[in-house]
Amino acid sequence: MTDTVQSINLPISGMSCASCVSHVEGALKEVPGISQVVVNLGTNKASLVYDPQRAGLADMKRAVEDVGYDIPTSEITLDVRGMTCASCVAHVEGALKELSGVQEAVVNLGLATARVVYIPGVVTSSAMKRAVRDVGYEAAERSAGTDALDRERQVREDEIKHQGRNLLIAGTIGMIVMIGTFYDMLGPLKSLVPEFLSYKWVIGLLTTPIVFGPGRQFFSNSWRGLKHGVTDMNLLYATGIGAAYGIAVINTIFPKAGFGGEGATFFESAALLTTFIILGRWLEALTRGRTSEAIRKLMKLQPKIARVVRSDGREEEIPAEEVEIGDLIQVRPGEGIPVDGMVADGYSAVDESMLTGESLPVEKKIGDTVIGGTLNKTGAFKFNATRVGKDTALAQIIKLVEDAQASKAPIQKLADWVAGHFILGVHMLAVAVFIFWFFFGYQMFFNPASSFILSPYKLGEIGVFGFSLLLSVTVLVISCPCAVGLATPSAMMAGTGKAAEYGVLFKGAEAIENASHLQTIVFDKTGTLTRGEPSVTDVISNDLLDSSQSLILRLAASAEKNSEHPLGEAIVHGAQKWGLILEDSETFNSIPGHGVVANVAGQTVLLGNRKLMQENEVDFTALMNQAETLEANGKTVMFVAVDGKPSGLIAVADTLKEYSVEAIQRLHKMGIETVMITGDNQRTAQAIAHQVGIDRVLAEVLPQDKAEEVKKLQALGKKVGMVGDGVNDAPALAQAEIGMAIGSGTDVAKETGDVILIKDDIRDVVTALEVARATMRKVKQNLFWAFIYNSLGIPVGAGLLYPFVSVIISPEIAGLFMAISSITVTLNTLLLKGFKPTIRLKEQHHLIPVSVPAGD
Amino acid sequence: MDKDQMEMHVSRQSVMIYMPVSMGAALAFLLAASLSGSYPLVAKIGGTVWVGLLSLIVSMPVITSRVKRHVKLQ
Repeated sequence: MTDTVQSINLPISGMSCASCVSHVEGALKEVPGISQVVVNLGTNKASLVYDPQRAGLADMKRAVEDVGYDIPTSEITLDVRGMTCASCVAHVEGALKELSGVQEAVVNLGLATARVVYIPGVVTSSAMKRAVRDVGYEAAERSAGTDALDRERQVREDEIKHQGRNLLIAGTIGMIVMIGTFYDMLGPLKSLVPEFLSYKWVIGLLTTPIVFGPGRQFFSNSWRGLKHGVTDMNLLYATGIGAAYGIAVINTIFPKAGFGGEGATFFESAALLTTFIILGRWLEALTRGRTSEAIRKLMKLQPKIARVVRSDGREEEIPAEEVEIGDLIQVRPGEGIPVDGMVADGYSAVDESMLTGESLPVEKKIGDTVIGGTLNKTGAFKFNATRVGKDTALAQIIKLVEDAQASKAPIQKLADWVAGHFILGVHMLAVAVFIFWFFFGYQMFFNPASSFILSPYKLGEIGVFGFSLLLSVTVLVISCPCAVGLATPSAMMAGTGKAAEYGVLFKGAEAIENASHLQTIVFDKTGTLTRGEPSVTDVISNDLLDSSQSLILRLAASAEKNSEHPLGEAIVHGAQKWGLILEDSETFNSIPGHGVVANVAGQTVLLGNRKLMQENEVDFTALMNQAETLEANGKTVMFVAVDGKPSGLIAVADTLKEYSVEAIQRLHKMGIETVMITGDNQRTAQAIAHQVGIDRVLAEVLPQDKAEEVKKLQALGKKVGMVGDGVNDAPALAQAEIGMAIGSGTDVAKETGDVILIKDDIRDVVTALEVARATMRKVKQNLFWAFIYNSLGIPVGAGLLYPFVSVIISPEIAGLFMAISSITVTLNTLLLKGFKPTIRLKEQHHLIPVSVPAGD
Repeated sequence: MDKDQMEMHVSRQSVMIYMPVSMGAALAFLLAASLSGSYPLVAKIGGTVWVGLLSLIVSMPVITSRVKRHVKLQ
């Protein structure tokens, strides 16, 4: 085999027989560059010999998929240590993507993770870890659940401790260096400071441990990266600190060398620059973890212990992860519920706010489901475990939020690209600045009386080289795009976490970005705007007869008592709501397509449509106007005749959900156009739309055509969101820019859509949009702060203002500004923690007693 | 060729390119400084070293990654 030919074993899924083998072999053999193919049905693998220059994995995957099979992929999350900026992200992603078999690699700087989609067997996790290590970072496989939590916390605490220790050393010695440097300006305080501290060689000796102790990390990290052809922020720091220190040493040891002599020993620049950069790192480590608090809070919800009731009645405490499906678990007042299950005995109220955002405790009785991680309030109960381990609602939600936080929004990809290419650009700019000031600027503009900003230190003795070098170093330090790298991921993490607090789960950062741009929201009617269950809305009695509304409803409900028809059930429920006592019918006859005939308390009750009345010659002329008015409002009218006389009407309709009107009003205030899509006829649909306040109606749309209607709206140039039940509306949810699956409960993994609304509360659509908009606002603010700093800092650092004001920025002040920029971005992101959706601020609980027709 | 061998090969080939490139830039600076004015010798040498160092920093990653890509394709 020559060097240009490689072999590979690809896993293939979906093969069931020998013909599958020949299909896959045939498909792969047709790919140019593949010379040998052997497919093994037993191992579900294809062994290939191929020329990598002519055939890639993508070609092989396409060929296999074209004939109906698949190359399965797996996913792994690596914890990556040592990343500090967006260029680190690009390096780690690049290293992983270079590996054969890696399909996708997404690195999250905020979480310090890399999510890799790969073909098992082609590439291993150890190869990935090695690739990451090779570009200068540490990688370890991420463990699940609380282990990951502990590990992440440990890593963060280590980083805080490490940088804190560095800061303590650099800060303390740096302060002494500062005092020594400005000894002559201390005035009356001079007597408190030993004079030897002002000696240049003493200042040099004090600066040396700062540069080679706490500052060593920048040199070693940048060298490790350079060896593998990558540059990062560390290189900017290393060049800046190294240059300031090197020149100071030369000027101290060889003052006559011509670099500016003793007047240009910028030891304090090297010392304070190192200190400020470390201060920035330490503050970042402190604040960065707080943006991922949401996930930590979720992980903490998982109780560690479960009290299992054994078959002999004995209670045994076991670790929650050892609970098995079917185990009977005892929960006492105030205890956390360890896994998902169904109440088997007892009654209680459970606080589910931590998972669903529902502020009121939810009553639980026999047969109700309970969610692991929620908190039992008052009573005690036993339940049977139905979902355990990674299948529990809590585990699914954690996974979803983690995935969302590890994903990348389009705006972030752009910011990462800019930051990643920035470093080289900055070094090139530093060369240009040096050359300009060396050959032209110094001779044209240098003023010996000039000084540094915020410093009485004069530049008098500095020569052409020292001056040009200072400006060049300042450009290197001030250009550092750390804040650009943090701007988007930190806000996205805070946003997805905040949304999860209110029971809104975004499936990725892209979903947040897209949701913030939505202009139109399409609502499916049944089950989304309405309850999807008919109920009694009007009862009308015939004034000409001696009948009352309650009598009519009682007789009708008694007649329908054993009916399974949805309209019959609605009448029975309606009577129960009115508090009526129902009687058993003596006889009951269902007439399909017409209604029912029954004998109740010695009276013959006819209940059904017009046709039933006509066939039984009951004249409803007196009530016909009212019947038509009800029908015009989209309600289904049932005629009630007692002993052959027209006694009254009962109208049944689907009812609006509790908060539909409020949610639509709120969306209008946000400038969103609302559209309702339904299979109902135009008149009925308009009636509902009118009641709920919807702008536009798409009526008589078959379920399979909903996606097409969404496409038509998109063709008008609108950014469309679709809200539906997530199962029947899957194609439309997929077609929309953002699909929101509402009321999905806690089995979130099965849900389609980009946004999952756990609760059956349509106001969460508003919450989702508000969180998305707030997050993107934060991203834009962060990017503004990050870029404005660099945009203003670079020209000033390069000496653009020097000819006019005769002051330049010293490297240490540039370092301080750089640290402030990162901190500004992180603190700005933390403001999202205080965000509350407007709906939650109001928390109005009012039932809207309007009615709409059943059906869809 | 295993990964370590390849890395070694890439490093060697890259050095052969980026060293002359950065040294060329440094020499160009020295030449310009010598011809264009009466700069002190240390300023000329300091400038040459600084321009050489920055050129090395700029060229090293660019050339190394290009060579790596080229070697992989081979």
